[in-house]
Amino acid sequence: MSVASTTSFDGIELDRAGLARRRRLRLLPYALLAPSILFLGLFTYLPVIRVAIESLYDKPHGTGAAASFVGLGNYGKVLADPAFRQAALNNLIYAVGVLVPTLVLALAFALAVQRSTRFSAALRTVFFFPSLVPLVAAASLFFFIFLPGVGLLDYYLGKLGIRGPNWLGDSDIALWSVIGLTVWKNAGYYMLFYIAGLQNVPRDAVEAAMIDGANAWQRLRFVILPALAPTTAFVTVIALIQLLTSVDHVIVLTRGGPSNATNLLLYYIFQSAHENFDYGKAAAATLISVAVLLAISFGSLRIMERGARGHG
Amino acid sequence: MARLDRHLWPALTVALLSAVAFLWASPFLWTLVASFRPEGAGSADMASLLPDLHPTLENFRNALESGSFGLYYMNTLIVVVGVLAVQCVTVSLAGYAFARLRFPGRDLLFYAFLLQLMLVPPALIVPNLATVVDLGLYDTLPGVMAPYFASAFGTFLMRQTFLALPRDFEEAAAIDGAPWWAIIWYVLLPMAKPGLVAFAIVSITAHWNEFLWPLMVISSPANHTLTIGLAAFTLGAESGKEWGVLAAGTLLVMAPLAVAFIAFQRRFVDSFVFSGVKG
Amino acid sequence: MIIATRLGPKWLGSTALALTIAAAAMPAWAQTKIEFFFPVPVEGKLAREMTRLVKLYNESQKDVEVTAAYTGSYDDTKLKAQAAAKAGKPPSVVLMSANFNVDLKLSGDIISLEPMLKADETTREDFLKDFWPALHANAVVDGELYGVPFHNSTPLLYYNVEHFKEAGLDPAKPPRTWAELADAAKKLTKGDRHGFLMPAGYDYLGWLMEALSMSNGGRYFNEEYGGEVYYDQPSMLGAARFVEDLIFKHKVMQQGVTEAGGVSTAFFAGKASMVLLSTGSLSFIRENMKQSYDVAFVPKNVRNAVPIGGASLVMFAGQSEDSKKAGWKFIKWLTTAETLGGWSRFTGYFAPRKSSYDKPEMKEFIAKNPDAKVALDQLPYAKPWFATYQTVAVRKALEDEIQAMMNGKKKADQAVKDAQKKADELMRPYVEQTSLKLP
Repeated sequence: MSVASTTSFDGIELDRAGLARRRRLRLLPYALLAPSILFLGLFTYLPVIRVAIESLYDKPHGTGAAASFVGLGNYGKVLADPAFRQAALNNLIYAVGVLVPTLVLALAFALAVQRSTRFSAALRTVFFFPSLVPLVAAASLFFFIFLPGVGLLDYYLGKLGIRGPNWLGDSDIALWSVIGLTVWKNAGYYMLFYIAGLQNVPRDAVEAAMIDGANAWQRLRFVILPALAPTTAFVTVIALIQLLTSVDHVIVLTRGGPSNATNLLLYYIFQSAHENFDYGKAAAATLISVAVLLAISFGSLRIMERGARGHG
Repeated sequence: MARLDRHLWPALTVALLSAVAFLWASPFLWTLVASFRPEGAGSADMASLLPDLHPTLENFRNALESGSFGLYYMNTLIVVVGVLAVQCVTVSLAGYAFARLRFPGRDLLFYAFLLQLMLVPPALIVPNLATVVDLGLYDTLPGVMAPYFASAFGTFLMRQTFLALPRDFEEAAAIDGAPWWAIIWYVLLPMAKPGLVAFAIVSITAHWNEFLWPLMVISSPANHTLTIGLAAFTLGAESGKEWGVLAAGTLLVMAPLAVAFIAFQRRFVDSFVFSGVKG
Repeated sequence: MIIATRLGPKWLGSTALALTIAAAAMPAWAQTKIEFFFPVPVEGKLAREMTRLVKLYNESQKDVEVTAAYTGSYDDTKLKAQAAAKAGKPPSVVLMSANFNVDLKLSGDIISLEPMLKADETTREDFLKDFWPALHANAVVDGELYGVPFHNSTPLLYYNVEHFKEAGLDPAKPPRTWAELADAAKKLTKGDRHGFLMPAGYDYLGWLMEALSMSNGGRYFNEEYGGEVYYDQPSMLGAARFVEDLIFKHKVMQQGVTEAGGVSTAFFAGKASMVLLSTGSLSFIRENMKQSYDVAFVPKNVRNAVPIGGASLVMFAGQSEDSKKAGWKFIKWLTTAETLGGWSRFTGYFAPRKSSYDKPEMKEFIAKNPDAKVALDQLPYAKPWFATYQTVAVRKALEDEIQAMMNGKKKADQAVKDAQKKADELMRPYVEQTSLKLP
């Protein structure tokens, strides 16, 4: 952080004359940032303040009673709510359960389609395509795929003689079915980032390793993967953001069920506000979730910064 | 052994890849096949990937009747393009400010920006809806777009991009007396195009697929975006168990995207390659 | 117009054309535009048919123009309508689940229809006279009319006749009691075919549990006071235990939760021999079931009793007077005996008006479709749908527990106990303002 309280235009000294210009330049950064700050203020900071205030009150819906100040009472209610705890746990499982396979597959796909053959181009299309389909549409498709007995999965499993479980109706499996759908949808999208990242892997290092007798697996582990660290960090950040803030498939496919098996944090908030009309509780849950998300985001951004700096 | 290796591994890889690709594509294959299959809401072979011998266009007709897909497409395009257009301006300006200018409070403001990364509009849906209503933007497309006009992610990306650019051109231009906006427009942006393209892809994909926020903001059918229209339509077809119609509707949504992607695939992927998206 | 373009310069012709069109398009008096939200939660081409009806209405008169918006399930429609109202743009008319009236009235979302009745110079009793008695309770809240029934249903047992014959059961004698049901289901279950299946998704499960607990002699809720539900009473407990036994003891039903779509699909595909579904699915099943099937009353354990389901037309608060008048006109058009009868024949739902069944088309239809007759015969046993404070949340409290039970995570006794506890907690704010508010 520069100690100077004046604005310097990147080390280029401004001539003494032009005090007005200097003042304008001092205001320049703020002017450039103004539009962004305006919208951020309206749709990020203001809502947070509103939510914070709302979380301190309890207004029972439809009873005609006035809102009462309950301080941190709502937070206590939320943390004690088994549905919230289930949603938090589910979100954790969901995040890890989607992130790891997605990254692995994205990298695997990228490695597979590196070459410029027609086959590779076709593969690229096939893998990437799911991400072009809105999650809502994909969820409806998957409703059919998961249909017990006659859905796509069970139909072909049946041909192999396997009896599929109740994909969306079994509370032990439902979350994994949702995870499966998400992996299918996202892997191809992150594959693109890895394709780009792979282009930047230094060829000489790979060749040097080959000359040294390293096999494909060792080349991957010791040369390619480290070179891809910045890409991985970048993709992890985007993926985490997406995972924690999109619940379209839950809304359309399972509505949090069966018995909260697929309830996720954002969906819990949505439910509290729109089904139970407990806005105080929804607000408290929002702040709690947001705090957790912020912690994660700062953590991953730290990694990203380090990765970018390290790559130079 | 070596000879076996040379022939076996590639063949296995191709086979494996083809199998995985088939798996990946099977939902779409089913969609394609089912949309032409005549109505049979409960035949045990509904999931079959083999096309029916008597294909029909009935499903498409029903699908088109159920929703004005053309209108939904139009609305979604407006939202996506509108958001991107404004975002390009805000993130370029903000990214430049953070990358090249020094001013009091810079780091603080930057972290404030980063807050937005996690505080995405869906997470703040209840208060944001109230704000949108207060601004008189309920049930309008601008109401859907407004929360996204500033993008912390985009700002971050552009800052990184600008930071990585060599300063020689700017300094030369500055010495020549070029004002800041000329420097940004004529010097920096052309060099930062890959970063912008990467951001554009992320933004377009995100807003094309968006569902929850538009769902809450929009109520009249005339303003429905593709996701809302499709959800309403598929929910109806779903409860109607009209799988053929559901498949046809989904196909109607996907087909233009498929065509566009296949046509521009090369350029699309190349833009990623040169985007310097390393972090 | 052609004459004009031939006789005069081109621009004159097109101007005349434009003026003519403009004149024709301008109504002689102002048209009120209103919005109509409707859900269609059961199977069939219902959304398309409703859109067609609305278009018919718009074309039939010039006073009111209705924009119809299909808004998903019953729960979704409630959400959307309330969100729109909160934003200051309430829909004029909403087809709402018949049991949301209490909830919506308590939250001030819907308006009483008494003023409309008064303007029409009729009374509530007269107005409701033509509607089936079982429907009255859900339409009236605190002595005032809040909803006009549009289509209604009850649960019905659908069974596969061929499977019956194959298993040595007489298709003319469907199971009448729970014991007979379990027995028949055991004979019908073989391989991957289930003897019995029922939807257990949100909303449907609550309704069916009400049906089962009523058939077990009880009530799900206090019809006169929205702060009490009876989950842990013997009638509901017995119903829960029965469902649990069907899955785990008799092994005739699939473990886990199956959505309605899955149930009807399984029925069509011959993977389920008996299913408990709404009469609202009658037409859909009739159209799509290839094998021979029949319908029967919901089996009883103590008595024959079923809840009604379906929807009524309500009007949201916050509208202008003109909008209210227009909305009421539209409601009246939608609920004539003919329209209701036609909708009933198309969907399988009941026509809520008795007079619809006096019409010749309806008589002919019932004669041709005996399954519709069975549904009609069950009506005398129909009772109100549960409606309490925070209906959806209180319902979900039960559903979540039963779903956990169906997944083998809880025993029935524990499930209903937990459900009651949750429900009581949800209703506490209301209860504390009413019966627990003492001087």
